[in-house]
Amino acid sequence: MRIDPLTRRQFKRFREIKRGWYSAVVLILLILSTAFTELLVNNRALVVNYQGEWHFPTYAAFKPGTTFGLDYQYETNYRELKSRLQSTQQGWVLLPPVPFSPYEINTYEGQFAPHPPNAEQGHYLGTDTAGRDVLARLVYGFRIAIWFSLILLVTTFAVGISVGCAMGYFGGTFDLFFQRLIEIWSNVPFLYVIMIIASIITPSFGLLVLLMVVFGWMGMTWYMRTATYKESARDYVMASRSLGASHSRLIFRHILPNTLSLIITFVPFSITGGITSLTSLDYLGFGLPPPTPSWGELLKQGTDNLDALWIVSSVVGALVILLVMVTFVGEAIREAFDPKQHTIYE
Amino acid sequence: MSGYFLRRFLLIIPTFIGITLMVFAVTRVVPGGPIDRALAQAQAVQEGQAAVSVREETNSTLSAAQLDQLKAYYGFDKPVLESYVHWLGQVIQLDLGRSTRYNEPVWETIADRLPISIYYGVVTLVLTYLICIPLGIYKGIKHSGTFDHASSAIVFIGYAVPGYIVGIALLTALASETEVFPLGGFVSDDFDDMDFWEQVRDVIWHSVLPLISYMVGSFAVMTFMVKNSLMDNLAADYVRTAMAKGRSFRGAVWHHALRNSLIPLATHFGNNIALILTGSLLIETIFNIDGFGLLGYESLVERDYPVVLGILVISSLLFLIGNILSDLCVALVDPRVKFR
Repeated sequence: MRIDPLTRRQFKRFREIKRGWYSAVVLILLILSTAFTELLVNNRALVVNYQGEWHFPTYAAFKPGTTFGLDYQYETNYRELKSRLQSTQQGWVLLPPVPFSPYEINTYEGQFAPHPPNAEQGHYLGTDTAGRDVLARLVYGFRIAIWFSLILLVTTFAVGISVGCAMGYFGGTFDLFFQRLIEIWSNVPFLYVIMIIASIITPSFGLLVLLMVVFGWMGMTWYMRTATYKESARDYVMASRSLGASHSRLIFRHILPNTLSLIITFVPFSITGGITSLTSLDYLGFGLPPPTPSWGELLKQGTDNLDALWIVSSVVGALVILLVMVTFVGEAIREAFDPKQHTIYE
Repeated sequence: MSGYFLRRFLLIIPTFIGITLMVFAVTRVVPGGPIDRALAQAQAVQEGQAAVSVREETNSTLSAAQLDQLKAYYGFDKPVLESYVHWLGQVIQLDLGRSTRYNEPVWETIADRLPISIYYGVVTLVLTYLICIPLGIYKGIKHSGTFDHASSAIVFIGYAVPGYIVGIALLTALASETEVFPLGGFVSDDFDDMDFWEQVRDVIWHSVLPLISYMVGSFAVMTFMVKNSLMDNLAADYVRTAMAKGRSFRGAVWHHALRNSLIPLATHFGNNIALILTGSLLIETIFNIDGFGLLGYESLVERDYPVVLGILVISSLLFLIGNILSDLCVALVDPRVKFR
């Protein structure tokens, strides 16, 4: 692919804005890491060497305790297996950095959940009120939230860009009709409607994305309409039209590439929007059904149990860090694509 | 120009009908409405009686006649469109119906919450303008200075993080752990026993944290808007001309650049009337403030549709009028703007 000099310059400017660039690198690594979350946070061991046999339980079918000479049929508790094998010298176990599953309820004798952070038990951020590891739930909740917003981003942009582009390009009655529709649609209190629907049918991941798209496509559409409107009145579009270019050529070869910078500047803000909406819905209890690991649900637990300070502070901390990073990227992109040079006279 | 605004006002009517019709239809289609609730209640009562007496009806807890009566009472006996027209006719006569939960007129339910919502709305509005405009101007003049960078960081976090998260963080740090501020509510329990100044103090004491949460979002947007537009204007030719003629920097800022850079503020001004009333559902839930947002949330959970629709009527009308007011403000402050 050939990168034109303007794009290269914009990318260079983006890299020069340090906080935005580093946030982008960290975020991309975090998103890529969601592919291996099972290897980082899991109650199944990564590698078990038992009596010379190798086992890789992470992605395998469940292994009953009898596989490793234990006296139960249910799934092996690898944390116990580790200490057992250590004492009997029959092999060894390599556990993930956080050896808990987000659904696993941990009980400790003489203690009641929520358990405070305890490095010895491996609960670096403590457990929630049901005894599930907070860090594990945060990590899996992040995976759901970030992919929710990424899928939401792609679908809203697909709808918004096509409708907005068509409105701006064709204008006339089509434009007027959609203007009314958007005005009505954006006035519908969408949180209400989603809450009404979510209170009847337990929303699945896909349904929630669909609902958010149905009520969230207007913002992008509006900006795209204005941008297309502006572009299609420019001389180069007129010139290529007079040369006989078709509608699709005008739109896809001329107008869309020139509105690309606008589209890109909206990406980070759409991601923060997706994350906060999902968190708010989960917080109010209208989001993904329990026991799905979710930040909103943790937030609810945290505010309901303010004396278990570790729950609320971990999830608020995680949210603030994530949202600030995404916004840093957003500001840096905006800065790179639209550098404002200001002169001040003294 | 007046033709444009007249057209805009007339367009409120179809938009308003579109919004309310859609939500009205949704409330009809959705199960779990007042009828189902009444049925469930009747069933619960009857099951209690069933333990002592033999039940006569086995298939239905209410007779068909009772059910019809119930439907007629809630206006569910007619098709959606017909009952919508009926409802709309009542709304035009300023009758929003009766709340199914409190069994009192919706107007009264809403009026009960009004003082609290208006208090928070107005105070937030005034404080936001009072702080943001000077802060934005100062940041614009001292662009890239130490103060600019330091304040940007704080404003920026407020921009990235939604108000209710900030609210939770504040609540945890300042109310739960250290008890500097109360955990929520609008006034203390012994409010009525206080004298006037104690009451004032009590209200302020309760409203510090919610107000910060309310302001966080609009604060960042507005400060940056003032700052950026001031800097745009400072870089404009007419400021250069003024400086070249020997005007001092202060004079150029105060007499030339500042007035023009406040124009973008006007584009948001009209929407404030809607914001004053609607508040934020999440912030009100967290701080347990009995305002408009919490009322909407509760009536939704309880399926109190007359109240849901009543709030929708008020907030959507305010929003639509607010949009036009914003345009009007822009046209008033900026003679270059022409609406056709």
